[in-house]
Formats: sequence, structure tokens, C-alpha cells
Amino acid sequence: MSSVSNVSNSQSGNVFGSLRTWFSEARNTILFVIGFLLFWEVAVIVFRIPRYILPSLSSIIRQFIRNFDLIWEYTLVTGYETLVGFSIAVAIGVPLAMMTAFSRILRQTFYPFAVALEMVPKIAFAPLFVTWFGFGFIPKMIIVFLVCFFPILLNGILGFTSLSQEMVYFSRSTGASQLRMFWKIRLPAALPELFVGLKGAAVNATVGATISEWIGGDAGLGYYIQIATGQLRMDLAFAIIFMLTALGLLLFYVVQMVEKRMIPWHVSQRVSVFGKSEV
Amino acid sequence: MVAATLVLAATPHSTWEATLKELIQINGVTKTYRSKAGPIHALGPLDLTICEGEFVSIVGPSGCGKSTLLLLVGGLLDYEAGQIFINGNLVNQPQTDIGIVFQTPVLVDWRDVLGNVLLQIEMRGLRREDYLEKAKNLLRSVGLAEFEKRYPFELSGGMQQRAAFCRALIHNPPLVLMDEPLGALDAITREQLRVDLEQLWLLTKKTVLFVTHSIPESVQLSDRVVVFTPRPGQIAEVIEIDLPRPRTIAVRESAAFQQYVHQLTSIFMNFGILRDTVSSPQSNAVVGE
Repeated sequence: MSSVSNVSNSQSGNVFGSLRTWFSEARNTILFVIGFLLFWEVAVIVFRIPRYILPSLSSIIRQFIRNFDLIWEYTLVTGYETLVGFSIAVAIGVPLAMMTAFSRILRQTFYPFAVALEMVPKIAFAPLFVTWFGFGFIPKMIIVFLVCFFPILLNGILGFTSLSQEMVYFSRSTGASQLRMFWKIRLPAALPELFVGLKGAAVNATVGATISEWIGGDAGLGYYIQIATGQLRMDLAFAIIFMLTALGLLLFYVVQMVEKRMIPWHVSQRVSVFGKSEV
Repeated sequence: MVAATLVLAATPHSTWEATLKELIQINGVTKTYRSKAGPIHALGPLDLTICEGEFVSIVGPSGCGKSTLLLLVGGLLDYEAGQIFINGNLVNQPQTDIGIVFQTPVLVDWRDVLGNVLLQIEMRGLRREDYLEKAKNLLRSVGLAEFEKRYPFELSGGMQQRAAFCRALIHNPPLVLMDEPLGALDAITREQLRVDLEQLWLLTKKTVLFVTHSIPESVQLSDRVVVFTPRPGQIAEVIEIDLPRPRTIAVRESAAFQQYVHQLTSIFMNFGILRDTVSSPQSNAVVGE
């Protein structure tokens, strides 16, 4: 049972010890990232790549610092669109997934409809939304909502319907009501699949916000990238892309933290990103 | 086809059944599944009576309806004809006065072992605290005392299945249904769990209806072995296993034990389920008809 003792060790380790464990696991990753960034910086200089094709890392950082006020202002704009669109997608998608999973009528009517809609490229609607709702917050929020809603809905339905027949038999043999069965078994059993959808949605969210700002916006990081590239200021464009990446990572990280809190027991949580199993 | 009737009437030399109370009565039950290719007659007509405290195994080839019978007795499937009674009550809805164990442990990932055993209690709306001590005792009796705080993924398949046994017993059901509970385990674990299962049974004295593919397993565990024919499953023969308990290694290696295994194997061979020559798909099909 060496696997079992390993688990308790990592839980009881002190802060310094766990930090050291983390570093020893992450060392190769960190070294690689540093190496990559160094290569970028050197290669741009050595191969004399023009600034309007690929700027050096240092110039990107300079631009980031110089334009930070505007970048930050637009980060809040894009962040707000992302967060509101994502939240509404969660608030509607999760209950709707539940209802669809448990209602035969909805499974026969709404579900195939939703699957078909999922195939529609949501971004294609962006110009229409601009016509309908103008250049402001609403059309972006709707696009973010759409690109988040379907992964949440479809994975949610999958989660709520994925109970094994044996588990259903066991539940029935206890005489438990549908409601009790939902709270004790169906809901927790659905969470892993649901979080797959939530993480997919988190990835989509900033993409949706950025593209919708390209199509018709007067503020936000996507809008700002267009301004920067229009002026061939690639170093500024990259600085904004870094910020966008950070924004996307933040949302993803928050969802992952919630996931770790809610389903620490699930198999996806037992393997670290470095491929080394913790158990 | 073999006449699918079993009369409980005991063989002359053993009279103890007569003193026991009948728990399950199965009268002329049949089960047909609907499929795209048309209805499949899976089971029956079938008659069987099982007494309180008996350990009864059902052995038979794959697809002969063994598991179906178990689910019918549990009220988890509907049957077309015949009747099943448990304690004199007609089975026409899921039975709650039973424990149930499957080939897979069917534990929930998000609860530790103790929590999984107590899930049975919580699902029934009973007070967790009232059964805490009993759950711990049960886990101790199957050697899981030190593992009650472990999660299923931290346990081996055999340990998970032991936890599943405890969950099926915690609410003290008079009847436990077991659908090939040892079927997915490796050979050595399986051997050990047979021994443990008999100990648990001797301790709790539940009525057990046990489905298995293994002839030696059925002999080792059962008071009676019910041999099923190929589909549609009917009773080919019922063999009473008159061996001392606990069925220790000495008992298992005895000539009497081997004799029972031989007897059951012969029945299988008579039905063409087992043969000495290489089987061909065609001959299988013929036998299956």
C-alpha cells in the first residue's frame, strides 16, 4: 500500500517541503519556458527579423509597461464581457442540462436541436448582433454566452445521464426517492463531466470576447489588438495578447480551483499536469 | 427441453430444509427481452423455492438468464408470466428488503469506504449515527478496519468488493442478491474472497442467491447449486452440496468436493455447454436453440 502512504505524505508536508516538491516536479517545465523566451529574444536579434514581423521579447515588455494604463482599462472591459457571458452560460446551462437529462420530452425535442445548434459557428452571428445591439457590451456578452453555453449544456447532459445501470439498481433497492437519489448520487456523479464542459467554456470565453470585439467594438483588448496591428505595432499587439492569455488563464484557473475543491476524489485530480501520478 | 420443475422436497437423508421457512417462491416465471431482431426468450418457465438462511448458487453458461433471475427476484425487472413471492408478498416493484452486490463494486468515488457503506443507510433515510458502529464492525470483519477512511481508488479490486459486501449487509436485509461478485477479480484474490464470503455468511446467516460461472465456486459456497440450461434459462438440475462448513482447504481437496465438481461438470457436458473437442460456432448455435 505504498500508494496510500504517498497520499498522506503529500498532505501532511509543510509549506516549504511542498514548495520544494512542486519545484522539483515543475523544474523541467520552468527551464523550458525560460529557454524558449531566451531563444526568442536572441533569435530575433541574430536573424535580424523586422519588428513588424516578430518583435523581440524585450520590446514587447517595454510596450506592455508603457501602455499599461490603457491595456488595464481594456482588460477590465474584456474581462467583464467574459465573466458576465460565462456566468450567464453557467446559470442557464447547468439547470437546462439537468432538466434535459431527466425529461424524456426534452431529450427528444430540445437535445437534438441543441446538438445541431452546437455545430453552428457562433462567431458568424457577431455581425448580426452588432446590427441588432450596436457596438457596446451586449453583443459581446451574447457571443461569449453562446460559445460557453453549448460545452456546458452538452457535457452537463452527458454527466447527468452517465450513471451505470448497476448504480441505478442499487439506488432502487434502497427505496430512495428520486430527489434523494439526485443529491446523493446523480449530482456528484455528474460533476466530473460537468467540469469538463466548464473548463471548455472557460477556454472559449476569452476567444469569443476577443473575436466579437474585432467584428464590432470600440473598446476591449480585441479592439486594441486591431488598432495596434493596423499601425504595424506588433510589439504592442503581442503585449495585449499576453494580457489576453493571462485573462483566459485566470478564468480557467478559477474553474480548476473550484473543481479541485468540489471533486478532489475524481481521477482527473489525481494526476498532476506533469504526468506524474500523485497516487 | 428439460422439465423446468424443482420440488423442494428434500432428499431422504437430509431433513433440515423441512424445518426452515420458505423465503422465496418462484412459480412459472418467464422473461422475454425485446430487441431489434424480435423478442428474445431469456428465461423460464421456472420454478424454484429458496428457504431462509440458505446459500443458493445459480450456475450456467453466459446469457442463460442467471442475472435476469436475480434482477427479477429483486423486483428490478418486470416479468411476463408467473409469480415471485418473497415472504409471501408478490414481487411487483423494486424490493427494498434486500442487499445487492454486482460484479463491479459500484462504490461511489466521492465517499470513503465507511461513507460508501453508510450510503445504504442514508439512501434509506435512516440516521447515519445509528449505524456507524455497525458499519465499522462489518468493515473489521472483512479486514478493512484500517481502510475505512480510504477512498475506493486507493483500494484493490478485492478490497472494493469487500466494501460492497458490507454495504449490502449494513441494513440487515434478510436476503442478499449477488451477481457474480467475484467474477472480475484475479484468481488468487477470488480464492481468498470465497473463503471470506463463507465466513461472512456463517456470521450473518443471510439468505443468499448467488450467480456464478464457476463450478468449484458454487460447490465451495453453496447449500444448493441450481444448474441452468442455455437460453432460455431453465433449471437443468439442482444439486445439494452436503459438505461440512467452513469449507476449509481440507474440505476443498476432499474426494466428496471433487465428486460434486465432477457431477456438475457432467451436467454441463450433457447440455453441450462444455465438451472435450474444439467448439464450432455452428454447434454452439444448435445447442443454444
